[in-house]
This record gives sequence, structure tokens and C-alpha cells, in this order.
Amino acid sequence: MGELNRRRFLERMTALTATAVATPATLGAIPHTGSGVGTGGPRGDGAGGGAEAGRRGAGGGAVAGRLGELDLPPAGRPQPSELTELTLAEAARLLRDGDVGAVELVEAYLARIGRWEPRYQAFNTVVSETALETARAADRARGRALGRALGRGPLAGVPLAIKDNYFTAGVRTTANSFIFEDFVPDFDATSWARLRDAGAILLGKTQMGPLATTAASTPTGERTTVNAWAPFHDNVSPGGSSSGSATAVAARMAASSTGTQTGGSITNPSNAQGLTGIKPTMGRVSLHGILPLTYTRDHPGPLARDAVDAALMLRIMAGPDPADPRSLGLPPVPDYLEAVSGGDGALTHPERGGAVRIGVLPGFLDEPEPPEDPAPDPDPDVDRIGSSFPRRERTQAAYRRDVATAEARRRMLATLEELGAEIVELDFPAHWETLTSFNFNNVRLPERSEIFLEHLRDDVTQFGVSLAPWINGLLLPAAEYVRGSRARLVLLQEILDEVFGRCDLVTQTAPYPFDMVGLPLIGFPIGFETESTGYPRPVGGMFGAEPYAEHHLLVVIAAYQRVTDWHLRRPADPGDLRPADSGDLRPADSGEVRPAGRDGDRPRDGSDRRGGRNRSPGRYDLFDVMERGE
Amino acid sequence: MARRPSPPPSVPSSQEVTDEQLDAYIRTRLALAGVDLSVLPEDDEDAPADQRRIMASARRFLRSTPGAIAEFEFDPMGPPPAIYPAEVSAWNRG
Repeated sequence: MGELNRRRFLERMTALTATAVATPATLGAIPHTGSGVGTGGPRGDGAGGGAEAGRRGAGGGAVAGRLGELDLPPAGRPQPSELTELTLAEAARLLRDGDVGAVELVEAYLARIGRWEPRYQAFNTVVSETALETARAADRARGRALGRALGRGPLAGVPLAIKDNYFTAGVRTTANSFIFEDFVPDFDATSWARLRDAGAILLGKTQMGPLATTAASTPTGERTTVNAWAPFHDNVSPGGSSSGSATAVAARMAASSTGTQTGGSITNPSNAQGLTGIKPTMGRVSLHGILPLTYTRDHPGPLARDAVDAALMLRIMAGPDPADPRSLGLPPVPDYLEAVSGGDGALTHPERGGAVRIGVLPGFLDEPEPPEDPAPDPDPDVDRIGSSFPRRERTQAAYRRDVATAEARRRMLATLEELGAEIVELDFPAHWETLTSFNFNNVRLPERSEIFLEHLRDDVTQFGVSLAPWINGLLLPAAEYVRGSRARLVLLQEILDEVFGRCDLVTQTAPYPFDMVGLPLIGFPIGFETESTGYPRPVGGMFGAEPYAEHHLLVVIAAYQRVTDWHLRRPADPGDLRPADSGDLRPADSGEVRPAGRDGDRPRDGSDRRGGRNRSPGRYDLFDVMERGE
Repeated sequence: MARRPSPPPSVPSSQEVTDEQLDAYIRTRLALAGVDLSVLPEDDEDAPADQRRIMASARRFLRSTPGAIAEFEFDPMGPPPAIYPAEVSAWNRG
């Protein structure tokens, strides 16, 4: 099974390293934990015990130091088939040391894209030739630099996937929309420019929800990207709106990726696909050169394979940018790599020094109530209400997933407590329920309407299936918008006083509250469940922190990942999975799946703005809207 | 931050406003903004958007969101608007 590839890779690297170098930082052995995903888990629960040593080697205990001075453990040269198994940090180290070339790494990723992209549909555009040219240049530069200690970027030669709302000079940037379907920017978004300057190579632009709303689809609402853990199950959401970014990383079609989050669009797809994604505090990463959805809630950040990779990406992306005043006048950017370096292994607060206090809000650990078994409607169309599943099946699947999620949360907190964290039970802030409600969440809508007012006035059909919230944003009176903006400060002050007055991190079950006030969030894998659908699906956790305390989040999740192995699981390749005998599944070689766009290709959606869809509408109907994101 | 008293009986609640009244408001507001929904099909489930669904969404929005926000009462000397609250908190830390 593909999910074991990562362990085999680590074992082999360990053996090579053990014979070559005797050092405490070598990669540890990863005992097999059973044959299936969903077994395994935290050390001490008898299932997944071997992951601690693995993470010490591959990431947490090894990445110490500053950008450009990655100090990862020595390791042997991976086999060509293993190159895409490398984490971002591992790839950076091997490239730095000359053990791997940029060309062979890019070729390995392009090979996977060529093989599996027709099924995953993670990319809008793949810039194969440009990527290879850049890789050749990187290898030539490395040849000149070797032995002369020339400064090279910490990501020199590492291939990345970039969400299709980040400006990429000379490469089409569409945001999966009619509005920008022909847009080719002439400069790079600041955050992508920083990654590029660090040596990263653009592999391609990733599929997303149109204009960064909902899960990836064409502007007319046809589903595109599938979840890498369920590539034959179209009804399973890949998480949105950074869907292609998540699938590209989970499916090893990129070392890491970028996303944007306005309402869960980094943390949701990270949770849906077993990744570690950070939505940083507003202003920490420049928004200059990113197609906006709202002014006040868009947050760029990384989707990565683990906390170490997320730290490395964020360290490069973050910092003041004169082109974005929101990024100026803020606290200095902490050393995120130091935060994930592991230290002596104890889970302590990076500044205060004592135990990290993790706040748990009411309901986080509650066992879900068994649902009433809904009677099927005699009309099958009504019963499915636009779904590919009957109502009863949907309800039961959601309940089984909720039960598994509650168990994973309990296990995760117990693991963190064993690591030395203090668990603090909290009440909700005084006005939490009201100020985080759907209605106050809607205060963002006039911003998007204003940003796109010329397009709304020009032709509303340009918004395709996403039009409704743009119209609604025009209808919120200014007095209510101002009142809602005052409410944000009330909500933040209550969170600071009543939550972070008692803890350092806090559990979250939905991204919206912290998105509303611009606070940082991290999404990370805490388990797997097979109960809802019969095949393994990641279960995700989410923590929030105080303003500009992303390093607090990274400290804790890196420590958690040193003793668990959820983040090491990799989905099987589509070729290893046999489509289930179900009418909603398409065979891998079905002609329904269109090929990925390539350099300069037109958008893949050719449907008429006013006309019908040429495929069925997107339905991720086993999951609630929270997993769609924006 | 007590709730406002209920509006006087002569003012209909957002739930009591009729579809016709809301439709008139929506169409007037969109006309003032220069936005034309008539380019959409009137009622076509297979279209990415149609006038029927957009108007229904707008009515639901108006029946819920503006009223809920208006009901939340502030002390007049309370916080000013802060569209970037996290940054305000950092700037105010000195």
C-alpha cells in the first residue's frame, strides 16, 4: 500500500545513515505498525510507537539554525523512486549537500504529475519546461558554488506548487475564474517571490475554488480536484479552497505548496488530506500580488507535510513588505526553525519557559449524539437532495466520522499532556456564540463586492456559480458593516482576556472565529478513520494562538509529530487502489477526466457562462460546508 | 451590552417583511449600484446561476444578517471599528 512508502523510505535511509555516520541525530527505525492506515498513532497506545525517532531525524530534532544553514541529519542518497517521498526539509538538505540534483528532483515530480494528475486534477497549469530550465540553472549554480561556500537559497532546487491566486510572472493566474481566465501577471506575489528567491522552483499553479470560494471547481461549478486519500470517491471533499495545493502535496506531486485562507481554506484542506497547514496572523505574510477575496480576512500560508516543513515555508514567506501596509509595524518574525528544532524534547513555552498551556473550549471532547434515523423520502430525488447518497447513509456516515474525531481529539490531548503540556478547561468568551455566528461572519461580504464592483457592473455571469455572496455583499447596509467591524474588536478582546489570559494555545473546531479576527491557526493530522466510508480518511485537529504567535503553534505540533506518525502516512497511489463497486466512482482510465493544463494551455473549463454545465455539479456531500472553506 | 428592546409593533420584523418588499429593495439597490441580474436565466437549475436562486439567497441574507448585527448593542463609548483587530492589538502593545 502506498501509505507505507514513507516508512519504507525512512527505514532504508536509516540503514544507510547508520552505516555511514554514528550520530544521535540519525533517522530512527520506524517499526511497522500494522498493514492499514488508521492503526498506528501516538506512542504508548500500542499501535504507532515508532514514529518518534523518525521525526527526530527527519525534521524536528534536526532542523536547527537559520535560513540557509539547514542542519539536518546525514542520510544516504534516496532511490529515484523515493525522491518525491522527501519532505521539503529533507530535499533542501540533499540538494544543498549535492546528494540530489534539482533536475532529477523536478523530473521525479513531473513524472508523478504525468502519471497521476489526470486522476487527481490538482493543477491548473504545470510549467514543465520552465521548471526544468530553472532546475538546470540551479544545478549549474550549485556546481559553481560547491566547495566555495557561496550563499545559496535554503530552498535551492526544491519544487513547489503555488495556488492559482498568487501572481506568478509570465504564468497564467486565474483563481479558477472567468474574470481572470486570461490574466498573466508581470510580477510575482511577494510571498512567492521570497520562496523563489530562496531557490524554490515553480512546478505549477494549483486548482482552487473559483475566486477562492468553496472546494476546487470550474467557474461553472464542475468539480475538479479529488482528495488524494479518496481519488475514486468524487463525493469526498479535498477541502477548500486550496484544494489543489493540498492534493498536490498529499499525492507527492510537490514538496510543499501555498494557500490562502479567508474562511478555513488552508486548515480545512490540510485536515482533509493529512497535512500540516498554517494560517498565520493577518499581516505576517504579505498579501501583495495575491488576487483578493476580502481585504480583512485573506491570509497566505503554507500547506506542508509536517510542522518542520510548514516552519521552513513560513519563515521564508513571512516578514514586512512595503507593498502591503498590513505587514508593517508588527512584532519581529520569530525563528520558526528554532521553534521546531526539538531542544531537549520537553514541551515548554518558547518564551515563558514553563509548561505550554492548552485551552480546551466546551464541546471539543463531547461524544456526538446519535442522530435520529431519518426516514427515507419516497421521492429518491428529494431523499438525496442533490446528493449522490441517500439521506440516511449521509447522516450515519457523518455521525461515525464525528465519533472517530472525538476519539482522535481525546487521544491527541492525552499525548500532549504526556509531553508535559497543561490542559486547561475553558468557557467560551462572553459573546462568542453571537459574534462568531453565521451573521457576523457575513460582515466580510461587502469587501468582496467592493473589490469586484466593476466586474459585477460589467457582467454578473463572470462570477459563475459563486455569484450569490457577491450580490449579498452589496445588500449589507454600511451601518451594519461598521457595527460588525466594531464587533471584531470586542471578540478579539474577549479572546485575549478570557482565553489567552489562561492558556497559550486553544482548541478550535472551526476556522471562522479566528479568521474573523485575524488570529493564527494550525491544522494538523491527529488520526485516521475508516468508519464513515469504509476507506481510510485523515482526521484533523486545529489549534489557535495569540496574534503573531505562530511559533507557539509550531513548537507544540512539532513536538506532537515527534511522537506520533499520523503525518507520516501517505495515501496510496491511484494505481494501487481498485475503484469500489459503486455507481458514483469513475474508473482510473475513464475518458471523463480531462488532462491537466500544461504550459500556456487554455483553462480547462470551456462551458458557457450562461449555459449549462458540461459535467455534474460538485457534490462533496458526506461532509458539511465547513470543509469547503474560502 | 444589553439587547435592544423589541422594535415597536408598527415596524415589521425581518421575518415579517414580504418577499415582494424584499425583492423591491434588492432590485432597487442593485440598480443603484449598476448591477444587472437580467443577464442571468430566470430559472434554470442547470445554469451556474439564475435569477430565482440569486434572489432567494438575497432574501434569506436580508432576513437574517442585517437584523442580527443591528441587534448587538454597544456602549457608545465602546470600541471603534477595527477591520484589522489582530494588528491593532500588536500596534497597541507598544
